[in-house]
Amino acid sequence: MIDQMEPAPKNTDYDLYFGPAHPGSGNFGVKLRLEGEIVISARADPGYLHRGFEKLMEYRSPIQNAVLSDRLCVLEPLNWNLIHAEAVDELMEIEIPERAKYIRVIMAELSRIQSHIIWYGVFSIGTGFETGFKMAFGYRDYILDLFEMITGGRVYPAGYICPGGVRRDFPNDTKDKILKVLEKIDEMVKLEEIENPALDARSKDVGVLKPEDAIRLGATGPVLRASGMKTDVRKEEPYEIYDILDFDIPTRKEGDAYARYCIGIDEMKQSIEIIKQALKKLPEGDVIAPKFKKPKISVKIPKGEVYTRNEVARGEAAFYMVGNEANTPYRCKIRGPDFLHMIPVLEYLLKGAQIADVPAIYWSLNICPADMDR
Amino acid sequence: MVKIEDKLLDELKTKFKVEGYVQKERRVWVSIDSKELLKICKQLKDSGFHHLSAMSVTDWIKEKKYEITYHLWSYKEKILITLKTKISRKSPTIESVSKIWNENAQIHERELHELFGVKFKGNNDLSPLFLENWKGLPPFRKDFDWREYVKDKYYDKKNDREKVYYD
Amino acid sequence: MVKRSDKAKTMRKLIKAIWIFNWFNSCGFAELVPLVGSRWDMERFGMIVVGTPRHADVLFIAGYQTMKSIERAKRIYEQMAEPKVIIALGSCTMTGGMYWDSYNTIKKLDDYLPVTMYIPGCPPRPEAVFEACEKIFQHVKELK
Repeated sequence: MIDQMEPAPKNTDYDLYFGPAHPGSGNFGVKLRLEGEIVISARADPGYLHRGFEKLMEYRSPIQNAVLSDRLCVLEPLNWNLIHAEAVDELMEIEIPERAKYIRVIMAELSRIQSHIIWYGVFSIGTGFETGFKMAFGYRDYILDLFEMITGGRVYPAGYICPGGVRRDFPNDTKDKILKVLEKIDEMVKLEEIENPALDARSKDVGVLKPEDAIRLGATGPVLRASGMKTDVRKEEPYEIYDILDFDIPTRKEGDAYARYCIGIDEMKQSIEIIKQALKKLPEGDVIAPKFKKPKISVKIPKGEVYTRNEVARGEAAFYMVGNEANTPYRCKIRGPDFLHMIPVLEYLLKGAQIADVPAIYWSLNICPADMDR
Repeated sequence: MVKIEDKLLDELKTKFKVEGYVQKERRVWVSIDSKELLKICKQLKDSGFHHLSAMSVTDWIKEKKYEITYHLWSYKEKILITLKTKISRKSPTIESVSKIWNENAQIHERELHELFGVKFKGNNDLSPLFLENWKGLPPFRKDFDWREYVKDKYYDKKNDREKVYYD
Repeated sequence: MVKRSDKAKTMRKLIKAIWIFNWFNSCGFAELVPLVGSRWDMERFGMIVVGTPRHADVLFIAGYQTMKSIERAKRIYEQMAEPKVIIALGSCTMTGGMYWDSYNTIKKLDDYLPVTMYIPGCPPRPEAVFEACEKIFQHVKELK
């Protein structure tokens, strides 16, 4: 039996389960109640990927947690690596060398570009434009080759950004290779901007989210910026070196699926600018604090608490870490952007939509079920 | 020049029974009494803290208390204030803030009810979120040891490779 | 003329190009969806992704499984028609992997479903998946 909140009002209504084995839905299920072709109500069904991350981190020391933290959201591992390292640095009061800050920002922005490319690919296949999907996954491999050269892994960097700095320095010819890859990504962004009539018609005026509703439901990141609010954690509370870099925050007013799709493309252009500026100003020096040069399994975390906020590709992420004079953190609460996007925002937007619009709304929110379930 | 963080803390100290400190720029930490929770939250929301960033429970098993924290962000002033309050561990109950922050608070409370067992009075939907047919203790409590549970349930005494874990 | 058993004859007739149903959990999505793309093209080996288990020959289970999702995997396996094969990807299906001490993930896929082949790695490279499929064809050719 499919359980919903309220019983069905008429006996011409039927229930449909848009579930995890559907090729167009990812690892997440939504129970829809339909009347003809219109959705009356939706109920989210999470929990297919729940591992209990927050308590797994209480059994491991910070350097072991750095390797575990890239598996929080598989589509953008370096950004989550960065926020975990920042939380531990702040709690243990470690000074990071300048070169490490620049390298951290370059890797995080490359990961953001790679995540937006996946967003573009799955959004196109959800609205019927299959060429976009093949193009996206083809160009994404250039960035994965770069990751393999620098960190050693195509998808998971094995804790490259660790507390104290980064694990190892760039190899010799990295700068030229990064600039060549950025040229290829520029080429792809120009191809993405070509108008496709089917994609535009299926996503304009679909899933409109007004700014008051967006704040009340807890949306952050590109979803909030597409509704008109100009806010970004990198500008409000700059971390690492974002206060000396020069970049823009793209915003739109309409709040529909097409606006969210366009913001993804604009953000990729801004990330390319950030990487070029950081590469020009990259200083010489050490890449890790001297205390952490030789990795030690047991370090003492002092008593205290800290709340760190960062901007990952999907929105605002935060770590609340409590230390209690032990080798492992006492409590580690992880706040992900997708927990709010997938349950309250999705249930609100699907009410009153046509069944043919459900994939366009679903994929335009840029969801990652691993981040929601933790 | 009085900073915004100090002004906010002084305002709260004159009206309610609170203790707190300013940790650094944009971070204020305040400990409050659980009976004044709704009044403080209403005043903070009216003065611009529209965004509930996160809600969390810490299990202090030696003191036999749960500590609930609310992290609020203001888009206007750009500061983050954290409210901390302690409740009993044996029968944890507290008022729900879903009247103030609506669906955002409601989904956070639903998750904490499932993982820690806290009852929120006034929240009308506390059904299970991640787990299906779970009949044990709430899983994130400190007295539920995961490594013992895994050894019990998943490892096999008769298997040659796994026998070593039972010595 | 080589004498072959009936089972060998049917397998050689049926397994020429394999159709796959993906049951990916998180890690599989980032590393194995590119197999369909233009760099690691899998159509040149005759493999296609289908949308329903009733058309598929091979079930790819990639990544860790939780208690909730293994029930769904069992129902999908029952809906496939004979002959069918399960390939398990990743080290989480062999020993529990990085989440060996989590209360909600399963530790050995073999306790729940009959696995034919394991592909190690965290996550495995695309070339490893192609080598595994090549081994299936070889195994069918050598069946007596």
